[in-house]
Amino acid sequence: MPADEGAVESVPGDLRVRQHPVLGDLPPAAEVTIFVDDRPIPARAGEPIAAALLAAGIRVCRTMPNRGRPRGPFCGVGRCTDCLMTVDGEPSVRTCVTPVRDGQRIVTQRGLGAWEEGTA
Amino acid sequence: MKQADVVVVGGGPAGCAAALAAAGGGARVVLVDEQPDLGGHLRWRVAPIHGLEADLDGLPGVRVAAALAGRVAAAGVEVARGSVAWGLFEDNVVGVVEGENAYTLHAASVIVATGSTDRVLPFPGWTLPGVMTARAAQLFLHVHRVLPGRRVVVVGDGPEADEVANDIAVAGAEVVARVPGAAGLEAGGDREVEAVEVDGQVYAADTIVLALGRLPDPELALQARVETVFDEAAGAHVPRRDEHLTTSQPGLYVVGEAAGIVSVAEAMAEGRLAGLAAAGAPAGDIAAAREALEGLRTATPGDRALPVITTDVPVCLCRCEEVTLAAVRQAIAEGATTLDDVKRRTRAGMGICQGIYCLPAVAALLRDEAGVPAEEIVPMTARPPARAIPLSALTMLEE
Repeated sequence: MPADEGAVESVPGDLRVRQHPVLGDLPPAAEVTIFVDDRPIPARAGEPIAAALLAAGIRVCRTMPNRGRPRGPFCGVGRCTDCLMTVDGEPSVRTCVTPVRDGQRIVTQRGLGAWEEGTA
Repeated sequence: MKQADVVVVGGGPAGCAAALAAAGGGARVVLVDEQPDLGGHLRWRVAPIHGLEADLDGLPGVRVAAALAGRVAAAGVEVARGSVAWGLFEDNVVGVVEGENAYTLHAASVIVATGSTDRVLPFPGWTLPGVMTARAAQLFLHVHRVLPGRRVVVVGDGPEADEVANDIAVAGAEVVARVPGAAGLEAGGDREVEAVEVDGQVYAADTIVLALGRLPDPELALQARVETVFDEAAGAHVPRRDEHLTTSQPGLYVVGEAAGIVSVAEAMAEGRLAGLAAAGAPAGDIAAAREALEGLRTATPGDRALPVITTDVPVCLCRCEEVTLAAVRQAIAEGATTLDDVKRRTRAGMGICQGIYCLPAVAALLRDEAGVPAEEIVPMTARPPARAIPLSALTMLEE
């Protein structure tokens, strides 16, 4: 995978489910901004990082340590670790169960990633 | 160490019913659940849930979940949300981690209601971003309110596949194809899913949702070395239970989908029976709960039996450890006859998912290529932690 491309919007357009016949309208939520590979992405306060990324059409979270193949959200419940990313300098954070925070810095992770200076 | 009369692990329908019954019987109950809210899989389902008592029957899953959470709160059950029960130790001690905090719980009775996970199977391209489980798709659609993709292929021929295909269409994405199983399926794409090939026919699709049924997830109980029995319908070993749903370990119960594939109504009836038994309720109440459960038992179709792995295309079988199908085949050719053998030789099943996502495929290979009868394929030795937990949390424990 050309990991150097960083985050890529592969599924274009607005993927939010704004109306739903059973769940009703998408409830209002405060908007926060997260930075994915330095790109600002809008997010709904409280949602997991992986959901904000998916809504922006971004699905590649990491590459694997041995074969370098890309992975993205698979189980959605924190079991599979395919959605690991480096978040605020901490590597291998499960983005499907970690909520967004305004100003959060998220990096597409290569392999096991690495701690950034001053974060460990 | 915190004390309770009954600890229930898992806040889905079975766990909530168990906690309610035990609390109703006068027990001090702690309910430990790893999700932010109670309800288990009902939290991310909008399909109507049938077979329940009159005031809940036919409601969308999300409403049943909310109703159960409300009842648990009103019943005086102590609820530990966002809390992971990662270990079950001697004498019914449960290790719990909540964020960076850790503690142990001790109770006369522990009821494991940890539910099931999605059964998945490998096929070429299945590790590409854009391939996800039915549960992940439903979580994104209904809890996080995001489409998993625009053009989706749904894999599976059971009720889970029908439900998630409907969910996807209702939410506004297109189901471009339904595929009965993983055989003959291939995902194409360099960085992520761009096309899906099914027996030679190519679909332009960005997402594949795997809805191949459920796999019981009794790992916590297995840590206590309970006796197991092969469940034909689940295609896997599950804890052996007596008429009160007690395992071979005194005071340890397993209820709901952690012990087999059951309906929501059955899961709740199991939870109620174990909750009453654990609380030492009057024999008449326990007998009535048993009778109610027996009345709900339905023959579960055995079509979730182990599949046959036919592909010889290079494919990653164990997602966590990046172990190929060829490596597992070679281990079997060299004499591996158990899941633990394969794990030691290849690392398949040694990753953070604890083997739950490669188990069906490895078991199918052991049956077909090592000639081991499915009922003799016992689970991998389960050891704590059952979930990824911070090492720092463990340093907080006293002993």
